[in-house]
Amino acid sequence: MAIPSLIVALLAISSVVLAPFIYGVLGINPEARDEGALDDRGMVPGDWNGISAKHPLGVIPGIGYDLLARMLFGARVSFLIALASTLITVFLGLFMGIVGGYFRGRIDGVIGRFTDFLLAFPTFFMIIALSAPTIERMEKSGLIHGNEARILYLILIFAIFGWPYLSRIIRSQVISIRERDFVLSAQALGASNFRILVKEILPNVWTPIIIYVSLALPGYLSAEAVFSYLGIGVQPPMPTLGTIISDSTKYMMNNSVYFFIPSLALILLVLTFNLLGDALRDALDPKSET
Amino acid sequence: MLKGKKSLKVALATLSAAALAGTLLTGCAPANAGGTITYLTNSEAWTHADPQRNYTGMHIAWFGSYLQRTLTAYDRAKGADGSAVVPDLATDTGRASKDNKTWEFTLRDGSTFEDGTPITCEDIKYGVSRTFATDIITDGPTYAISMLDIPSAADGSSAYKGPYSTDATNDKASFDKAITCSKDHKTITFKLKRAVGDFNYTVTYLSFSPVPKAKDDGDQYDLHPVSTGPYKIKSYKVNDSMVLVRNDKWSASSDPLRANRANPDKIVVKFGQASEVIDQIMLTDKDKTSVSLDALLPTNLPTVFDDKGEVLAKYKGRAINVYDPYVRYAAVNVKKLNCLPVRQAIYYAKNFDSLITLSGGQAFNGDPADGVIKPLMGLDYAKTGWATGDKDWKPEGNPVKAKALMDQAKTECPDLYARATDPNQGIYYDIADTETSKKASAIWIESMKAIGVTMKFNFIEPGKYYSVVLDATKQGDLSAGGWAPDWANASTVVPELFTKEGGFPMSQNWEDPAYAEFKQRSDANLSEPDRVKQGKEWAALNKYAMDQMWVIPGVFSKTQEIWGSKIGGAFFWEPQGSLSFGDLYIKK
Repeated sequence: MAIPSLIVALLAISSVVLAPFIYGVLGINPEARDEGALDDRGMVPGDWNGISAKHPLGVIPGIGYDLLARMLFGARVSFLIALASTLITVFLGLFMGIVGGYFRGRIDGVIGRFTDFLLAFPTFFMIIALSAPTIERMEKSGLIHGNEARILYLILIFAIFGWPYLSRIIRSQVISIRERDFVLSAQALGASNFRILVKEILPNVWTPIIIYVSLALPGYLSAEAVFSYLGIGVQPPMPTLGTIISDSTKYMMNNSVYFFIPSLALILLVLTFNLLGDALRDALDPKSET
Repeated sequence: MLKGKKSLKVALATLSAAALAGTLLTGCAPANAGGTITYLTNSEAWTHADPQRNYTGMHIAWFGSYLQRTLTAYDRAKGADGSAVVPDLATDTGRASKDNKTWEFTLRDGSTFEDGTPITCEDIKYGVSRTFATDIITDGPTYAISMLDIPSAADGSSAYKGPYSTDATNDKASFDKAITCSKDHKTITFKLKRAVGDFNYTVTYLSFSPVPKAKDDGDQYDLHPVSTGPYKIKSYKVNDSMVLVRNDKWSASSDPLRANRANPDKIVVKFGQASEVIDQIMLTDKDKTSVSLDALLPTNLPTVFDDKGEVLAKYKGRAINVYDPYVRYAAVNVKKLNCLPVRQAIYYAKNFDSLITLSGGQAFNGDPADGVIKPLMGLDYAKTGWATGDKDWKPEGNPVKAKALMDQAKTECPDLYARATDPNQGIYYDIADTETSKKASAIWIESMKAIGVTMKFNFIEPGKYYSVVLDATKQGDLSAGGWAPDWANASTVVPELFTKEGGFPMSQNWEDPAYAEFKQRSDANLSEPDRVKQGKEWAALNKYAMDQMWVIPGVFSKTQEIWGSKIGGAFFWEPQGSLSFGDLYIKK
């Protein structure tokens, strides 16, 4: 499944990156409302959500946005959140894991207890409970407003509660690497700790990082959808995959096509990255059991 | 969610089950007795179960049908007949003095609380006194405070602070003079500070119902109100359920209004049900003896109704699409939007068409409104010349006219103009957080963008919405709202919405220079004895408020209700704007 999932993943990423270009080619616009595609009740006539040359995936009922354009726009926001969260998670997890694993002793103890502390938090409820007051404070600071504040909040909270998992994996790797001969030789030659960390240890933990990234990204994508569904994430008029799915659930009875299209898109996306992650692990880390 | 209710002059209710409980008093068990009716709602609990704190028409209808009796009540009848006032705890519909400033009611024999204690004049007087404890008994109607002849304190509030106050300055003596009881505890007399010709409509409110002093624990009474009706509360758990069983101390002979209508043996309310799930249950008729307390989701309307809003054959007899008593609008916070051209620009730019389509179209959402009084009010309604009567108004918005007004605002009120057009500031709109309101926000933002105005939204959790926007420190520039008359007189609309003392003053308009004249005319009109003249003046004041754009008009709204196929006796009870809960029974 490695090659097909790689192709789908690349397709997804490129269509998100090239979204403005796709709008131009297909003549769609995420900001334009086509009320002609709706009937008097705001419903889409017919059984197929108004799929046509003009609207490749149909329109969003009630308001008349082009569904494909909104999904591409929404996927950009979703990817931005997932990608940024993943990057910060990796940076924090890597730093803490290497420092803890290499220096051991008191430093490791402090980092280890702090990791346990974070892992003990009921993350899901914390995110919900903290959202309103945190976002309000961010806005009061005057530096960041509205959806930018919400996006930043999601990114930070995902990263803060996400890095301990990676840090534990990295730490255990580093503990075994630091006892290996090439590290001991470097130490015997008088290399600085910084040099050993960057030149000797870091290159040997890339494998778990790559695997972690390919699994964290889809995880954050679906987490964004869940929190948007619960009304914590990004607010309209800016769409994300999560808010589109959340809206579409209301139409399950009368316009199931509208419900299935964005849901399937999210499922496909998450599945693809998961398969890709598995494939990468098999390729880069043949010893581990899958 | 919204306060108030009203009576209609015109018969509207599209009709449901033909079998209606008869009006003859039989004295024995009702013909359709037995079974359990289950109500489903998305709400976590009743907003209030305390009679003095209930204000929404639907809640008053529900509690009034099953648990709480009042001096007088609306008749349980279809169409305009339902707006007639009939005696309930009282033997007649009240006797007014010649100047309409003194009203007297005599209590029936045999009415008791659920523990069997007879209801006396003192219990009603105690119940009314609770309304004055505005710090504890919140959210209820305040007609007792505005009408009873009790002097005001220095700050304009009533000198009487209710039964819980231990303050030495609490003017209990005045309250005791305003409500007096006869020696046999059977006759209650209200002394009013102004003439109120329809005070017997006022006392249909549960806030005029009896409360036993011994059982009252203030704020907590909301969780276990004592029943005077045919049912009593067996259990009430927030976010779970409420169960009512028959009240064995209730005497049918003392309650002709409910006597042969108390059909089910048990009534269950299930709280916290997901709206989609409720609709699924109702649409598939999975639980045939259940009734939805919530309106159908707009997305499910096409399943039940055709394009014109008529019930489809499959759902005949168990769904209705009717005008409810409400007028929906966006209240303008005049303190913040203190510039008429800006307010008018928002009105002209608003895309009525898209917003109505989003909520199901004109057949389901309602017609564009031209003020806060619905045409069904008859006497009190006249065209205001705005919206549908305004040649510059376009249903899809008129950005040209709106832009011209913004240009005018640029010189007249540069500060507000700068704020409204600054992408980092803008105008804030308060709205309850629902999927529909999220999409509505996109339509608003789009139409305001067309005239260079930045609009931003405060999405507020629906259950907390009114407590936030009625707090002047938290209210934004515009707040979505809806109001229905408390009875068939716009005296329960115009002063309630637009005077500082009103029950729903979201417009904060009392610093507007136009307010003084408005207030003086509104006050004078409250005591106008000629009902036709009074109606004309309410219509004129409705226009006055619109000329100042104290609200951005919305729709004269409609509502859709649905119930299970085994439920009989359902019709739209116009004065409360809700289903006829008290008449429902399980079909055999």
